[in-house]
Amino acid sequence: MNSNLQQVNHFFNKKRFRLSLILVILGLAYAGASFGLGFQTHSLLNIQDGIAWLIQNFIPNEASQGYWQEISQQLFRTFLVAVAATTCAAIGALFLAIIGAKTLTAAITVSWVIRGFSSLLRNIPIVAWAMILLFSFKQNDLTGFLALFFMTLGFLTRAFMETIEDFGTEKIQALQATGATYLQVIFQGLLPEIAVALMSWILYMIENNVRDATLVGLLTGTGIGFIFNLYFKSLRYGAAGLVVLSVIILVVTVELISNLIGRLLS
Amino acid sequence: MLTVNHLAKSYDGEKMSLTDVSFSVQPGEVTVIIGPSGAGKTTILRSINQLIRDDEGEILFDQVDMRQLNRAQLRRARSHIGMIFQSYNLIEPLTAIENVLHGCLGTKSNFAGIFSIYNTREKEEALKLLQKVGLEEFAYQQCRNLSGGQKQRVGIARALMQHPKIILCDEPIASLDPKSTITVMDILKDLAVNEGISVLINLHQVDIARKYADHVIGINNGQVVFDDRTPALSDTAVTGIYRKDAHSEGSLVHEF
Repeated sequence: MNSNLQQVNHFFNKKRFRLSLILVILGLAYAGASFGLGFQTHSLLNIQDGIAWLIQNFIPNEASQGYWQEISQQLFRTFLVAVAATTCAAIGALFLAIIGAKTLTAAITVSWVIRGFSSLLRNIPIVAWAMILLFSFKQNDLTGFLALFFMTLGFLTRAFMETIEDFGTEKIQALQATGATYLQVIFQGLLPEIAVALMSWILYMIENNVRDATLVGLLTGTGIGFIFNLYFKSLRYGAAGLVVLSVIILVVTVELISNLIGRLLS
Repeated sequence: MLTVNHLAKSYDGEKMSLTDVSFSVQPGEVTVIIGPSGAGKTTILRSINQLIRDDEGEILFDQVDMRQLNRAQLRRARSHIGMIFQSYNLIEPLTAIENVLHGCLGTKSNFAGIFSIYNTREKEEALKLLQKVGLEEFAYQQCRNLSGGQKQRVGIARALMQHPKIILCDEPIASLDPKSTITVMDILKDLAVNEGISVLINLHQVDIARKYADHVIGINNGQVVFDDRTPALSDTAVTGIYRKDAHSEGSLVHEF
């Protein structure tokens, strides 16, 4: 009885010690990093001045009302690029994921090649994609589309692959046992089972890409990103603020719609 | 109907999960395989329709060795072998009738199978089979909304859609409540008696085996230790089948 009590005390003491250790390590990491950067923690106390300036200048005013039409046009354009890139990438990703998923693949080497390929695509930051593609495709919507497409292809291939692998082999075997062919098993068994999961990944990616498309447009000189940059550099802060506001509205709307679709599906 | 000769299988090339398993199954009979977990019951069943590729032996189904068939031949052979599972393995978002119609995929072209193009005769038959297992009112329900016993009956209807000569049942009642167990076992028995289908069942429950089986095969540690008509399954025989020896401990990991 006594030794049990000792054991349980020892167990919780050890847990507490570990937690304290982690906190100390995190604190030291912050202190070390800010020393290395020459960052002064007390400057955080003056942060309200910066925010006040931001609010004063970026709140859309009377003058910026006139920009609504141009902004909404470019916003729609950006939205379309994001949706097009995501849906195209989703089709490619589904194909790659089916070939590459460990539970379905013909050869494990194929799986590794596809895994490596998708990892390469998604680990190149979207900004790098845009700048690289800018050289070959110049400043137009296609460049933005391709940058989003490649990154999304990499991401969705991986996500779809994991969805397929989680699905397991039992139900696939059950259909194989009826004498169904490979393609019949995919279309009659796999796809109906994972359709909802695929759809929610695609919706998530559309949300993400609407946000990223703004950034990409800034680099490729198209869409909403471009006019933000234009207004900002020509000191029309009010209009730039309006752009930010419109992007927020769009992203939130897309998120609400995708939540709604998600609820309807499940 | 079905004869298995000297079947041997190892998953890792070292430990044998089946060593020299031989038995045969007669038409119109319920044959039950019993034995402890990990004895190799599932491996035997899945070797028969080659969901598991075996190492050695011979599996004669209609005088043809399943192990020697090429892809197209194996597909045709599988279309005559129904199979039901402990976890039902239905496509849950699809309706009961769609799952039953999956039973005729083996006879359809790739195109027709992919796009669910079934003819009137097939659709009528699927409805009739659902009626046979008592689920006609659930035909257009998604399978995810059915109870375990109902799912298993859809599974049986899917197997029957194949016009099978034999139905393989991998622990068909292990996840069911007592009432559903009786329903499912009664249907399986009826198929053997009235339609002349061979029914081969993996079971854990000895009392169910005694009640429904015509023939019992006892498996322990990958070997056949009992092979006789059901009345010969005495309590001593059961103890023998379920005995644990030093070798069987290690092979427990191989059940899947």
